Amino acid sequence: MTLMIYCKLAWRNVLRNKRRTLIAGIAIGIGLAALIYVDALILGMEDNMVKSATSSFLGEGQIHREGFRQTFEVDLTVNNLAEVVESIKQEEVVESFTLRTFCFGMISSPANVSSVSMVGVDPANERHLSQVDEALVEGTYFEGDDDRQLLIGRKLAELLEVGLGDRVVMTAAQAGTGDLAQEMFRVSGIYYFNVPQMDQYMAFVLISKARQMLALGDEAHQIALKFHDAYLGRDQDHPFWNRYSRNGNEAVGWTVLLPQLEAAFELSGFSTLIVAIILFGVVSLGIVNTLFMSLHERMFEFGVMRAVGTRPVAMGQLVILEAGALAILSVVLGMILGFVTLYISTRIGIDYTGIEFAGVTFRELLYPVMEVRQFIVFPLWVFAFTVGIAFYPAIYAARLTPAKAMRKSF
Amino acid sequence: MEPNNQAGVIIAEAVTKVYSDNGVPVEAVRGIDLTIKHGEFTAIVGPSGSGKTTFLNIVSGLDSVTSGRVWLAGRLLSEMSGRELSDFRRDSIGFIFQAYNLIPVLSVEENIEYIMLLQGVGKSERHRRVGRILEKLGLAEFADRVPVKLSGGQQQRVAVARAMVAEPVLVLADEPTANLDSKTGAGLLDMMRELNQTTGMTFVFSTHDRAIMERATRLVTLKDGRVDNDETRD
Repeated sequence: MTLMIYCKLAWRNVLRNKRRTLIAGIAIGIGLAALIYVDALILGMEDNMVKSATSSFLGEGQIHREGFRQTFEVDLTVNNLAEVVESIKQEEVVESFTLRTFCFGMISSPANVSSVSMVGVDPANERHLSQVDEALVEGTYFEGDDDRQLLIGRKLAELLEVGLGDRVVMTAAQAGTGDLAQEMFRVSGIYYFNVPQMDQYMAFVLISKARQMLALGDEAHQIALKFHDAYLGRDQDHPFWNRYSRNGNEAVGWTVLLPQLEAAFELSGFSTLIVAIILFGVVSLGIVNTLFMSLHERMFEFGVMRAVGTRPVAMGQLVILEAGALAILSVVLGMILGFVTLYISTRIGIDYTGIEFAGVTFRELLYPVMEVRQFIVFPLWVFAFTVGIAFYPAIYAARLTPAKAMRKSF
Repeated sequence: MEPNNQAGVIIAEAVTKVYSDNGVPVEAVRGIDLTIKHGEFTAIVGPSGSGKTTFLNIVSGLDSVTSGRVWLAGRLLSEMSGRELSDFRRDSIGFIFQAYNLIPVLSVEENIEYIMLLQGVGKSERHRRVGRILEKLGLAEFADRVPVKLSGGQQQRVAVARAMVAEPVLVLADEPTANLDSKTGAGLLDMMRELNQTTGMTFVFSTHDRAIMERATRLVTLKDGRVDNDETRD
């Protein structure tokens, strides 16, 4: 029964000085909205980075011969390739896959020479796995029967001083013998990923030509994978990886291929925590200040309440309930503010394109990711924190003697 | 030696109170011996700084003594814990202060009801007692108003109603008419005197106002923290 009257008192007291309550509520609300926004931004950034990293070329997972990732040795082709490919075709989790060959070689033009990673691709399947076709700024994506077509990045084209239709020579060591092989290619397309490693040090040719040049037969160095559920690429415990990590092969998701990305995400999570601590620190000072202002303003009233028989604990309860009422208002304001700003950002996106972070260049607009969790967990944090921090003024109020309280008011 | 508690509602024995004012000790009360009997209508008078408010605070358990002892309704105040004192004040003493008596966010009815809520009195009984006292003090029409919508005199009448509704043994009033004009102040005192006579409740109040002193049946004059004069009237 007494709790009801204290709840009533607390609610009315909070609404007593509407301007101050509104200012305090907005301050706390902005803290909450910022927390929601930062979390959504980091989720969006993670999604964007994963997408940029995996969909531009990497794929969400890869299968290679063990040791290939470390050495890029041209002899290390996927074991039992035909059997593995047949098995992958039966996998329901796999949306698409493609075969690739890799080798380090030298590319030379009449004007210059450069080291390069020559990638043999199957154009039809590659379209589903990478964005090489979308990144073309000049020329075409492997059209016609010419097996000497070559796609190079804009920076490499500038370095070699070549354009569409110009001829270049690739030199690479063959599998098995290690003999040098040379082939002439004609530049059929120039792409721009805005990723230095791809724009300057990669060149794409047809896989059939690459196999012939490297004496690989029907072998391939890599099977790049795309899943129906992109999360599988992050879930290294999924049985899929074990099924294909045998017979000397290894199957790994992008978290293994790009460990720096996972580390960057952990850093982002830590950053959110730091932001939260700073925001909560600032907000807590605001709450304590507001509650103490309110308390000092009503010192005589507190004295009267104690005089007529309100117990010390009840005075503390009242302060905590007032903080709770303030927290409810603030949380509602913060959720509205957070939702509106987030909704707008998820519609228009944030332009980070071209900026590189953890070795990944943002290629698309960044869209913060709004989740229901953000509107449950963070408001509960703020509520609990606001009420928790109120224990300080509550203890102060509980310790006030009536006579002291009434004296302090004058 | 224990005093004869039948003799008085308040028994103060060699009470002193020393405050620290920015590190400087201030003797507000310097050895007061005083007994207030049941049913008395006592005025504590004296100039500013004479120790009236401090003395009232001490005998009501709002403040502690530096030395000496105070019995209130047979209980030695210094032996009670903070919580016991709160409960004792709630059940045994009605308070009226010179201003800002009421909780501003509660209506007149809720303000009067507040102490009974603390006491755990049932809803129907609360409403019955609040209705009766509002009627008795002519406040029925203001039941739903918040204090700020009332005049100073009306607010003090509500404070009287709140002080009396729990039927305490003692009503303490610290300069209850200080913020009222003389006519309203006199009316309030007449009302308190009438309640004293009809209910037999003990009233102790401090005042500066000579006109109000006239209504007291006992006049205790304090000077420099000591009882300077103690006069009983018929």
